[in-house]
Amino acid sequence: MTQDNGSNLLKATNEDTSGPFFPIYFQDESLEDLTVLGPGIVGAPSGQHIILCGRVLDRHGNLANGVLMEFWQANAKGIYNSPDNLGHPDLDPWFNGYGRLRSASGEYKFCTIMPGASDNRAPNITITLFSDGISRIVTQVFFEGHKANETDPVLKSLGTDDQARLIARHGGHTDGGAEIYLLDIVMAGANETPFFDDFES
Amino acid sequence: MTQFGRQLGIGPTDNTSDQRTPRKPLRLIPSVARESFVPVVPARYVMRTHEWDMTRIAPGRPRGDGTPIEVKGTLRNENGTPIRDALIEIWNANHHGRYRHVEDASGLQLDENFFGMGRVVTDEDGNYCFWTISPGAYLARPDIGRWRPKHIHLSVSGGSARLITQMYFPDEPNNASDPMAILMGDGFENNIGKPYETSDLDVDEGYRFDIVVGGRNATFFE
Repeated sequence: MTQDNGSNLLKATNEDTSGPFFPIYFQDESLEDLTVLGPGIVGAPSGQHIILCGRVLDRHGNLANGVLMEFWQANAKGIYNSPDNLGHPDLDPWFNGYGRLRSASGEYKFCTIMPGASDNRAPNITITLFSDGISRIVTQVFFEGHKANETDPVLKSLGTDDQARLIARHGGHTDGGAEIYLLDIVMAGANETPFFDDFES
Repeated sequence: MTQFGRQLGIGPTDNTSDQRTPRKPLRLIPSVARESFVPVVPARYVMRTHEWDMTRIAPGRPRGDGTPIEVKGTLRNENGTPIRDALIEIWNANHHGRYRHVEDASGLQLDENFFGMGRVVTDEDGNYCFWTISPGAYLARPDIGRWRPKHIHLSVSGGSARLITQMYFPDEPNNASDPMAILMGDGFENNIGKPYETSDLDVDEGYRFDIVVGGRNATFFE
C-alpha cells in the first residue's frame, strides 16, 4: 500500500472518467423519483413534491449526452439522513435523500421533495456529475424565491453572476401539484456553472 | 470573497474532455457548509448471485472469448479503515473492445457469451473479488490513431464513499498515451492492477487492485 510522504494517510486511488458507457443496466428507477416509495406501496415522504429539471450542457452549448447525475438533500424538515443524525426525531423514515439518474440525451428530470432549510442554510440539493471527459464535479443548487438565499454561506461566497447560475427558476407546477424548477448546468465555457472542490475544502 | 481550489486538467487528445472540463478553478466550500456536500449513499445490495463471475453470462454457459481473469482487492478510506457493504458496479469491454451498450457505435464484434456488467458488495473486511474477461483495447480516436488501453471501470458507493475509477493493466503499450493516465501523472501507478499467480484458480490471470477512497467525503461509512 502506497503512502504519502510525511503523512499516515493512504494515497487515494485516482478518480477516473466514467467514460460514455456507464451501464444503463445499473439504472434504478427508485432513485429517480424519491416521492414514490415503490410499486404498490401506500405512503410518501413528507413535503412539497418538486421536479428539478433542465439540461446539462458542454462548452459549445451542446447537450452532454450520457451524463450520470447524483443528488443529495435534506428532508422536508431540513434533516439529512447521515450517520450523525441517527435517531433524530425529525428524520423521515420514507426519505433518505439520495438520488441518481443517467441521462442519455443530457436533459434531466429529478422528482423529489423540497428540502427544508437546515443550520442557517437555504434549501439546496447537492449535485454530483460524472461523464465522459471528466471524472467528477460537484455543485449545489438553490431555489428561486427563498429568502434564505440572501444569507446562505455558499451563495454568499460567490459573485452575483455565479449565484444566479445556481438558483433554479420556478417554472409553474404539474397537474399533480408538483412545483417545477428549472436549471441548466453548464460544464464549461462562457456561462459556466460554479463547481466546488470537496478535496481541498 | 470567492476562494479557489483545484484547476481541473483537460485530457490531451480527448475532445470530450475539452468540451466538458470546467475552465474556472473549483471554488472552495465555506467550512460551515462543508458537511452538506457529503452525500451518504444508502446500502444497496442490488446484485444477482452470479454477477461476480462475468466470464460467462450465466452458470453453465460457455465462457466469453479471451482471457478469464480474477480481480480482487480491499476497499479502504485514507485512514486505512476498511469500507464494508459498499456496492461496486463493474463494466468492461469484451475481448474485441466492444461494450454491450446501446450507445457503443464502434461496430466491433459482440460476444454472445459475454455480458460485461456485474456488481459485487465488499465484505466486512472491505474485500471484494470478481471474475471477468480481460478487456480488449479499442481505437478511441481513429483520426490520430489513439487507442484506449485495456481497462475495467469500477464505480464504488457505500456510506459517504463515492468513487468512479478504472483499473488498467501493467506494461500495456497504450497506457502512456491515454489522456486520463497523462492527467494522473506518476499517480497512474496506483490505478494499475498488480499481477498474481492463479494456478490454483479457474482463471488465467489475477490482478490485485486495492482501492482507497480519498477526501473528507469518505468520513462516514457503514
